[in-house]
Amino acid sequence: MSGYWIPIAIFLPILGGVLIPLIGFSRAKTREIYVMSVVLATSFLSAGLMVAPPEGAVSVVSITRTIDIAFYVDGLGTVFGVLVTFLWPLATLYAFEYMAHEHRRNTFFAYYTMTYGLTLGIAFSANLITMYLFCELLTLVTLPLITHTRTKAAYVAGVKYLIYFVAGATAAFVGIILFFVNGGGLDFVPGGLSAGTADIAPGILGASFLLMFFGFGAKAAIFPVQDWLPSAGVAPTPVTALLHAVAVVKSGVFAIARLTYYSFGAALLEGTLVQKIALSFAIFTILYGAIMAWKEVHFKRRLAYSTISNLSYMIFGILLLTPAGLVAGLLHMLFHGIMKIALFFVAGAVACQSGLHNVTDLRGYGRRMPRTFAVFTMASLSLMGVAPLCGFMSKWYLAQAAVARGGMYAYLGLVAILIAAVFTAIYLLTIVLRAYFPPKGYEPAGQTEAKDPGLYMQIPLGLFALAVVLLGLFAWPLAEWIRSAVAGTFL
Amino acid sequence: MQETPFVLLTLTESLTLAFRADTLGSAFLTLALLMWIAVGIYALRYKDHQENNGRFFAFYILTLVMLLGLSFAANYMTMYLFFEMMTLCSVPLVLHNGSAKANSAAKKYLFYSIFGATLGLIGLFFIHAYSVSSDFLPGGVLDAAKIAGNEELLRTVAFFAVMGFGAKAGLFPLHAWLPAAHPVAPSPASAVLSGVITKAGVFCIIRVIYFQFGADFLRDTWVQRSWIAVALLTILMGSLMAFREKQLKTRLAYSTVSQVSYVLLGLFFLNEAAFAGALLHVLYHSVLKDGLFLSAGNILYQTRLEYVGDLKGLGRQMPLTLSCFAIFSLGLTGIPPFAGFLSKWELATGALSSGLLPYAWLAPAVLLISAMLTAGYLFPIVIHGFFPGRAYRSEGPDTGEAPVAMVGVVGVLAAATVVLGLFGGPILKFFLDLAGTVLL
Repeated sequence: MSGYWIPIAIFLPILGGVLIPLIGFSRAKTREIYVMSVVLATSFLSAGLMVAPPEGAVSVVSITRTIDIAFYVDGLGTVFGVLVTFLWPLATLYAFEYMAHEHRRNTFFAYYTMTYGLTLGIAFSANLITMYLFCELLTLVTLPLITHTRTKAAYVAGVKYLIYFVAGATAAFVGIILFFVNGGGLDFVPGGLSAGTADIAPGILGASFLLMFFGFGAKAAIFPVQDWLPSAGVAPTPVTALLHAVAVVKSGVFAIARLTYYSFGAALLEGTLVQKIALSFAIFTILYGAIMAWKEVHFKRRLAYSTISNLSYMIFGILLLTPAGLVAGLLHMLFHGIMKIALFFVAGAVACQSGLHNVTDLRGYGRRMPRTFAVFTMASLSLMGVAPLCGFMSKWYLAQAAVARGGMYAYLGLVAILIAAVFTAIYLLTIVLRAYFPPKGYEPAGQTEAKDPGLYMQIPLGLFALAVVLLGLFAWPLAEWIRSAVAGTFL
Repeated sequence: MQETPFVLLTLTESLTLAFRADTLGSAFLTLALLMWIAVGIYALRYKDHQENNGRFFAFYILTLVMLLGLSFAANYMTMYLFFEMMTLCSVPLVLHNGSAKANSAAKKYLFYSIFGATLGLIGLFFIHAYSVSSDFLPGGVLDAAKIAGNEELLRTVAFFAVMGFGAKAGLFPLHAWLPAAHPVAPSPASAVLSGVITKAGVFCIIRVIYFQFGADFLRDTWVQRSWIAVALLTILMGSLMAFREKQLKTRLAYSTVSQVSYVLLGLFFLNEAAFAGALLHVLYHSVLKDGLFLSAGNILYQTRLEYVGDLKGLGRQMPLTLSCFAIFSLGLTGIPPFAGFLSKWELATGALSSGLLPYAWLAPAVLLISAMLTAGYLFPIVIHGFFPGRAYRSEGPDTGEAPVAMVGVVGVLAAATVVLGLFGGPILKFFLDLAGTVLL
């Protein structure tokens, strides 16, 4: 396809979203048809772009001679793009049912649809500036979604979100400038600086990497910039599920992968203090997230902490700086996306039906919402790493990468991942056990008419449960595909 | 010499789900099946006392399916998968009665097992990276070229992997789920948990030590010494705790902790005699402990008495059950000619011939002390049951002997105790031959 289809795919949902409040749909049905058409059209366009990627980058705006807004479709972008393209229509379907009883749906779907374009923009950025720009836009556009309910908690969470991301953006921006001034190129090149022979100053470059790592890492919720994520759970569940389990947080992971392999280069970072610092924070975050999730009783907050932990699995894999590590990290990015969105959708369906938000209240719900909890059980087993579901496979690749690399940090990470797996089992299986095996004579709490949600919610849930199994069985070809997609980043 | 495994699923080029029926697996599965049938018949009658029977039997059978997969697993990955699934399927058996106590015991069981399995998973990760083949091969699969320089790392991994699977087998320090889970589970569930599922942990340990890392790689290292020390500690601790415990099923659970570590002790000595003794003890202990738990089940079913102090004079009400209980007690203590003697004899012989000082001497001594403790925690029940003393007057109503089907199963197990004890020679021969093929 021609390169100009990339900006079209990116700006179609942005424009489509902006138009929603202008048109001002009064009937839910027409709005749903409109939103779904825009989302599906975007997904088809982006799928087409990924199947037949255009040659080279296409520049949309040149700001200065060296800085321009440019897009391209490469292997790494495709890995992220596939995830987004697949999940967005399903999440939109779910959102239709979830939002049925909420107010200001035109505004909600306007922002919800716009974020699709921005996320694609991140996936298809051809240089640091473009990626930075779209990351910032994503922050701004998702903010109204967090404060959508207009409660005090929502505003507090919104302010927190903004503070973390503005601070992150500042750090990333300073990092980019330092990088650029000290010999770094803004365009993404496989192998990054390692590919060139430029005269580079390692000390300052290392600092610029760390600034960008934590700057973009705010989105990936690396400790100490993780706290916005559990708070952001006040948003409606479609937002929490799609944006804060997939799009926004994985943009952060994706950005880190980009700058590690396409700006700096594995060879440049290998064995440096910078790598060790970054790995240490990732390893700590893995444990921190898992333990906090275990201590948390609020359903969505528990899942949010779990996301924090799992995002750092990916960052750990990426920063091992071996081909196997990168593949494992990206594989976990795909698989975790599916598993976590399924878990959040269940939490949303349960909250929708029963009005309950704490996991301790869900005793006996396995009977009331059998299909929903069947999906939850599948996704839980997968996330805790029961073979051969997809969560096991990505952990398998991560562990193999860590064992193959060896060294203290790799082994520490492996141990952290395994400890986190035990905590994952605890914080998820306790929910399953309570749901299916309530104490004798226990009457479930919440709405008595709580039952499985409607089709709009069940279809995505069913598909995710199926995906958890199929992706596990076909993880190998998928991993091989990722391996070939990112081939060339190691020199 | 080994059959090519049947590959069900290829997960990655070197990671497969594959099955093979070798002698060890078949022997273990035979034991599991026989026990499952015996306890199943018992459970059909026992169920009158409980609700949700459909759920119970569903998970009872599912657990057996997982054991089947475990027995026939041809590689570590498959074994790990079925081990984990077996845990998940057996949890509902523990929490069956739905009381708060049962729920927390089930969680304890689940999390101890998952923690253990996770340690086992470390073994899988490393074995996979450092081996010539992902198959189970007698003598181990480590690639000498790859492990050069990493021997200590691999030994550490082996240590933790075995300790992990040891959680299922009640090995200290991950034994605490046993005394929590057994008293609250229905008696048939306790019987298979103690008799067979703990042995699944043993089975996995055999696979890890003898078919993955290889006995030669571990012999006379700190790993072997630490394992033996832990096993000895578990044996003593289990027996002591059983001796002090007043609740019958909890006492039997501690007894299991102790007895399964006899088996592990035998495996850790890494020689043929101890290996054969260990396998024989798997068989014997399985029969004996199933018998003891089902006897306890009979008592609970008829009288609802849980504490050993209350069982005085029970011989008059339930003579058959208590007689069988006496036979099992004799066997578990190790008195010839009942099942239980020969295996301990072989274990002691294996320990003495290992030449691994000081454990070669320490192990038989610990076995003797533990045997005395076993007598101490089982015989008084029988003695007070049959001879309550002149002053004793029965207080409770005479509820009589348990239903025929239940007494029948217990009787069959008691008969097996005698027969397997008397004809232990050929069985030992079989296990010695097996040991010969495994230890090369």
